[in-house]
Amino acid sequence: MIGRLMARLPAGSFAWLALHELRLGIRNSSTKPWILQLGIALLVIWTLIGVGTGLLLRGIEIVPGPEAYAGVTVAAIAVFSFMATQGMLASQRTLYEAGDLDLLFSAPIRPRVVIAAKLAGIIAMIAWTYALLVLPIAIPIAALGHPELFGVPALLAALALAAGCIGLAVTLMLARIAGPRAARTVGQIAAALAGGALFLFSQLWSHSDDRSRSGLGRLFDQILASRAASHGIGALPGRAAFGDPVAIALVLGIGAGLFLLATLGMQTWFLSSYRAGGMKLGGKRKAKSRVAGHFHASLFASVFAKEWRLLARDPSLAFQIVLRLIYLAPLFLLAFRDNSGLPFGPSLAFGGVVIAGQLVGSFAWLAVAAEDTPDLIAIAPVTKAEVERVKLLAALAMALPLIVLLPIAIALETVPGAVVALAATIAAGWLSGKIEVAHAEPAPRSAFRKRRSGSWIAGLLTMMVSVGIGGSAAVAVYFLERLPGL
Amino acid sequence: MTSALRLTGIHKRFDKPVITGLDLDVASGQLYALLGPNGAGKTTTLRMAVGLTEPDRGEIEIYGIDALRDPLATMAITAWLPDEPMLYDKLTPSEYLGFVAGLWRIPPKQAAPKAEELLRWLELWDVRDTRCEGFSRGMKQKVALAGALIHDPRLLILDEPLTGLDAAMARSVKDALRAAVDQGKTVIVTTHILEVAERLADRIGIIAGGRLLAEGTLAELRELAGGEDETLEDTFIRLTSAPAS
Repeated sequence: MIGRLMARLPAGSFAWLALHELRLGIRNSSTKPWILQLGIALLVIWTLIGVGTGLLLRGIEIVPGPEAYAGVTVAAIAVFSFMATQGMLASQRTLYEAGDLDLLFSAPIRPRVVIAAKLAGIIAMIAWTYALLVLPIAIPIAALGHPELFGVPALLAALALAAGCIGLAVTLMLARIAGPRAARTVGQIAAALAGGALFLFSQLWSHSDDRSRSGLGRLFDQILASRAASHGIGALPGRAAFGDPVAIALVLGIGAGLFLLATLGMQTWFLSSYRAGGMKLGGKRKAKSRVAGHFHASLFASVFAKEWRLLARDPSLAFQIVLRLIYLAPLFLLAFRDNSGLPFGPSLAFGGVVIAGQLVGSFAWLAVAAEDTPDLIAIAPVTKAEVERVKLLAALAMALPLIVLLPIAIALETVPGAVVALAATIAAGWLSGKIEVAHAEPAPRSAFRKRRSGSWIAGLLTMMVSVGIGGSAAVAVYFLERLPGL
Repeated sequence: MTSALRLTGIHKRFDKPVITGLDLDVASGQLYALLGPNGAGKTTTLRMAVGLTEPDRGEIEIYGIDALRDPLATMAITAWLPDEPMLYDKLTPSEYLGFVAGLWRIPPKQAAPKAEELLRWLELWDVRDTRCEGFSRGMKQKVALAGALIHDPRLLILDEPLTGLDAAMARSVKDALRAAVDQGKTVIVTTHILEVAERLADRIGIIAGGRLLAEGTLAELRELAGGEDETLEDTFIRLTSAPAS
């Protein structure tokens, strides 16, 4: 369909190029047929729910109150933070990975048109996910008697426009600050931080006192109390979503203005970042090491050295693993809260085991599935089982400095409990790693964040094993703490 | 003369038959060039020889060892260099050689001097501590070649080793291969550059449609094709375009 539309447009025009970007985006995200069919079925069900809701609400007047405005504002903040992260990642892919900029910039098309089309493609792909979630509900309700809700797609479009432009601007700014060699890494770290920022902020805020309210819930309370979402610029998202034409015009105007500003104002930055992105990485280092230092007596030492170096030299990947641990922070924050009612030692044992499972699983996936040269390993005179065992050991060894910390903390309360927790931690790590190894599908290291899409069964099993062993360890530590004389 | 590689009655089918009853015997101490048009089955043949692809039928022997029954023993004496070098971009040449030596379990006392020798010989000494990610294709190919030679293989199998190399790099790789043969190793290469086979190879095999069409020295092939003053290119085209008998 996109091809037919393109055929009707002047080749090389902004719209033609933007459709080309959209087509590429859709094809790059194409998935397994059964997942696609399941997605379509869910979308149909979701739309039917929207139609049903629309029929139920027919004739009922929707009068948005302060709560509704505050709710829309909080949702807009949350969605915008995720969209901005997606915008940064998509901008990095466009600049450093897409590989078609040479072709586009060597064609007789003005660079401004190319950049505008690229940005439009980024924005369309950002909006796509949220549109699938929101529009099947909002559009039927709007069409069945509540036309004011046509403001929802307008708000979504404005958020995507702003997020895409800001994502591109941040990426280009980081490229200028960090320089061409570090631009990619710094950009990926910044995107990971931006993606986790709202979650972390929400978690830390919700644990800052004894109120059992989530971070976003507390943000809602604050906005509602301050009436920021009912008056002035803070009311724009809510008013736009509920169909105020002036608010809709304003949010779309801001989005379109940012788009124009980004396209016109960042042309020079974009071109210089693209040209710098083509530079070869890794400048020549003065050779000074002794060759002998890199040779090891055992297979384990060789594999460990290689895996450790590959991880240490990929800061964005290491950062993603650390971020994964940060996402598990609530497990500990619960234990540290005075009024949580949870015993300290068992909570730590449970959290430590779950973290060990996640961490060793991550390292094992990197070592086994994300192997850059599987053929080299396959032709080496070592059995597959031996290589996998050594890689799993290496993954466990890499995680060990982190995963022994919690059992050490438990030792302050009960030494036998700490021993049990340590054994459970190692067992959970080993089993999680074994599961990852068993389900490993070859993938590039850059696919780390999406590895669960390769084998969700492994993810489920890993979590079940970790939670099961963690629960058993927690129970054991609980009773050991209470045993007289221990 | 001992066979370095002997393939007998090899069959392999993917979506369609790729190798159909291939027999190939490469004597040790030779540089053997395997030629053939695109899709002839050259790479599949070599991947089966090194254990990366399993044949549907047939036998593979490397220096008299059954490669299908005892793959670890044949892998220990074989090196494989595909057209896309098997490298880790984030490792330096020294670190890469250390890892490969570890996989082949070469003791450090033996591997380290060998690595130094290879790095110097392949003019990689000055970049031994530079990560491979910034290297040109030719440099990467040389690092991969050093990796293939670090465990002192008796049989070296290379798939299109000269693709993408500039003249100087190609010359040094060719010299390296010839030197390996002079040291008593057996080298098998596939190449599209017929001039390389013409100048470098002791024997040439021409494969098409998954079968060995012809094999011999350059003179023997010319004679077979019926043109004594022909170039290898003429002979190759004549043999591969002739209707299958």
